[in-house]
Amino acid sequence: MDIQYVRLEEKLPPREYKSDLEATWCPGCGDFGVVTALTRAFSEEKLDPTALSLVSGIGCSSRLPLWMNAFGLHSCHGRAIPAAVGVRLAKPEIPTIVTAGDGDLFSIGMEHFPHAARKNFDMVVISMDNRMYALTKNQVSPTSRTGYKGSLTPYGNLDNPFNVLDFAIACGATFVAQTYAGNPKHMTEIIEAAIEHKGFAFVNILSPCPTYNKIDTFKFYKGRLVDINKDLGHDPSDKAKALEHASHALDADWDPEAKVPIGIFYKTEEVPTFEEKVAALKEKYKPENPETVWDDILNQYKV
Amino acid sequence: MASFDLTVKYAGEGGEGVISSGDFTMKAAAKLGYEVVTFKSFPAEIKGGYALSQVRMSDKKILSQGDGFDILVAFNGEAYEVNKPLLREGTVLIWDGPEGGDFEPEFEELEKKGVIMYAVPMSKLAKQEVGAYITKNVVAMAATFELLGMPIEALKEEIVAKFSKKGQEVVDLNFKAIEVAQQYVRENIKKIDPYKVPGPLPKKDVIIVEGNEAIALGAAAAGVKVFAAYPITPATTVGNYLAPIILKTGGYVYQAEDEISSMAIVIGASFAGVKAMTATSGPGVSLMQELIGLASMTETPAVIVDVQRGGPSTGMPTKHDQADLFAAALGGHGDDQRIVIAPTNVEENFYLTIESFNMSEKYQVPVLFLTDASLSLRAEAIPTPNIKEIQSKLIERPIIKKGEVSPEELEHLFRYQITENGISPFLAPGESPKPYTATGLEHGENSYPRTTPKERTEMMEKRFKKLENIEDENPHLVEWDLGDLKEGEKADISIVTWGLTASIAKEAIQRLRNKGIKVAALYPKLIYPLPSKAIEKVASMSDILLVPEANYLGHLAKFIRMFTSIPAEKIVQYNIYRGEPFIPKEIEEKVEEILGKKVQA
Repeated sequence: MDIQYVRLEEKLPPREYKSDLEATWCPGCGDFGVVTALTRAFSEEKLDPTALSLVSGIGCSSRLPLWMNAFGLHSCHGRAIPAAVGVRLAKPEIPTIVTAGDGDLFSIGMEHFPHAARKNFDMVVISMDNRMYALTKNQVSPTSRTGYKGSLTPYGNLDNPFNVLDFAIACGATFVAQTYAGNPKHMTEIIEAAIEHKGFAFVNILSPCPTYNKIDTFKFYKGRLVDINKDLGHDPSDKAKALEHASHALDADWDPEAKVPIGIFYKTEEVPTFEEKVAALKEKYKPENPETVWDDILNQYKV
Repeated sequence: MASFDLTVKYAGEGGEGVISSGDFTMKAAAKLGYEVVTFKSFPAEIKGGYALSQVRMSDKKILSQGDGFDILVAFNGEAYEVNKPLLREGTVLIWDGPEGGDFEPEFEELEKKGVIMYAVPMSKLAKQEVGAYITKNVVAMAATFELLGMPIEALKEEIVAKFSKKGQEVVDLNFKAIEVAQQYVRENIKKIDPYKVPGPLPKKDVIIVEGNEAIALGAAAAGVKVFAAYPITPATTVGNYLAPIILKTGGYVYQAEDEISSMAIVIGASFAGVKAMTATSGPGVSLMQELIGLASMTETPAVIVDVQRGGPSTGMPTKHDQADLFAAALGGHGDDQRIVIAPTNVEENFYLTIESFNMSEKYQVPVLFLTDASLSLRAEAIPTPNIKEIQSKLIERPIIKKGEVSPEELEHLFRYQITENGISPFLAPGESPKPYTATGLEHGENSYPRTTPKERTEMMEKRFKKLENIEDENPHLVEWDLGDLKEGEKADISIVTWGLTASIAKEAIQRLRNKGIKVAALYPKLIYPLPSKAIEKVASMSDILLVPEANYLGHLAKFIRMFTSIPAEKIVQYNIYRGEPFIPKEIEEKVEEILGKKVQA
């Protein structure tokens, strides 16, 4: 069953995807760049603001749908993915983008990610990864560096950071990419590719928090990024290689010589989407005669 | 008066076919045109433990599972021991003997009591004569049918319906078990009990459904498109029954990774513009509370079925309880808006599920549908519903469609517009011309986050305004039971009760009226917001308001204290919390005790 997104015939200018609300993020926040990249990608993909849903959880980055002109669902902390699953089950023709943060997706909402990924729901999940909690004023998140000082861990983070890229591949995500808020062009390209991908597309966006995180800054990333596709010639269909690249995603935390990889790590369209499988079931079991469907149903209960 | 009213109880070890004996008997009885109501109870384990299945049959409408049983079919010693105290004069005991079983009844003691005993060696006959121990329950059933004079053809038809898929051999084996049992009874037992059932009665246009089946059918008839749930006893079967039906009506049953996810999916689907629901039990409701609040804040319709079970914590997953009312109505944080609906019987499980969708769509609030473990398993023959008529009366949320409003009107149209009744236009992706962001943050009419005291106050009042007149707008959601009394006339006692307890109280009240006691009763189906006016009115008809319910705290009684002007000293709680429903006799005796004391005083 081929399910097509609703699309416009003509491109809308990117600003048409912005709402009248000004973002309440701090000046210099990486998430501003994500808004810009999203509006450009939506424009390029000819998405219709009245047939597009942006679903988020709670946190700084999860406010994003409010700044956008699209059907937004700013849900509960951690619940962006299942709320998006609801939209996908209801209206698979509506493109659905989850825009959330690293704490929302990988701490409080952790139980949802692997299931949506392995079932291959056709949605884009964007993590704006600032490697800490900002809205609650600086606590460690699952992606925080070892030793990072948060308000609840004043003596430094005891944990190792969580590698979301190799995790996403292991979960069965059919598109896994990383990009950087300081590179709008790369970000736009990756988001477009994620929207075009049929299946579960995870995009980790390194999005620095200028207010609290003084380590994972724009300055830190400058000169450290490497585009695994363009610079290293990585072929995203090579899963073993994808996992190897992903396994080095956090090397720069402790090795000043190491690079931070960006690009499309993994992509396969050989897995049918969950929505396609549901549509096939509905087709297979649809009533021969809709007029008598209820007679047939009730007859099963007659004595 | 009913010409016959008979209850057969099968009891034994779980997994021995006790439950299916009840099911077969119930279906055969319905086939014969009898009214039927069943009561089942089994342990949470897959195999083993004490299980029972009871079938009450009559030629007249049956209100409850009754006070007890007339015929006990004891599959094993445990079943006998558990039920021995309930054997009384005239009760028939069909037991697994005189040989081959694991027990012997105390003949002398029971004879003295006047219990009638028939030994049917069900284990031995199944093993030796039929050649398959698995047919023990069929032997027991067929013996019971033979003793009652119940046409065996009805049982045979059910066996064909159930087993023909498994092959003719299986059908033949079960038919052999029937013959063996019939022959044994004819040759060895002299019937001395008075119990007899009539021959086939005129066939009625009915369907036989269990409580949870009725919910599934109701949801499909109401047009549910997304059902998301996580397995939990005793609610799982709602989804089981719905899964094949919903594919024919264009929806899908989705097994989520947990209850939190289920509720988020329901909200996401409903936000997208389709009807969505979940079904769970107490522990699931606890997990869903935060998201139910989101549905309330974003004014997203959602139906949450809570098949109550014994709590708190894991409690008693397969047992009866009515203790989730506080959680359903008031379990969230903040001042949220919810509606709680509770059915009293299987037929209402069907119609009130549809009504829950209607209420949810109309008021744009989450509706919690509170049923329970006993009702989930109770089977009834209900008149075949007219789906076309039901569907022509469904209430749908007011989705603003593209092209319906002019650009100027669109400028001034907002998702959370403050209107006279608080109910705002609905906007849905793919249908409506104006996007917005639904947010759990406090927001203004245009859905933008707002925290000014003025806007906060306005929006809070707007959301509560929707439910301000809910009682007056839905008089069909309270059932008056006044007998010959007129509204406002003096009664000896007033009774308000809810859920399954209401159907049991109804039977007790009929008996009390037959004894000349004047009872004014009210069964609210809308439990929250509480229909205070009706409850105050029924309470005003006597000096006592009795509130029987199967919970410790007295949830409804406490609500009556909170939300009505009825003096506290007038409200008499009557609570049981043993994991089993009331029996009519208990309520009957409680009323007599209260009135007796009053007379003495």
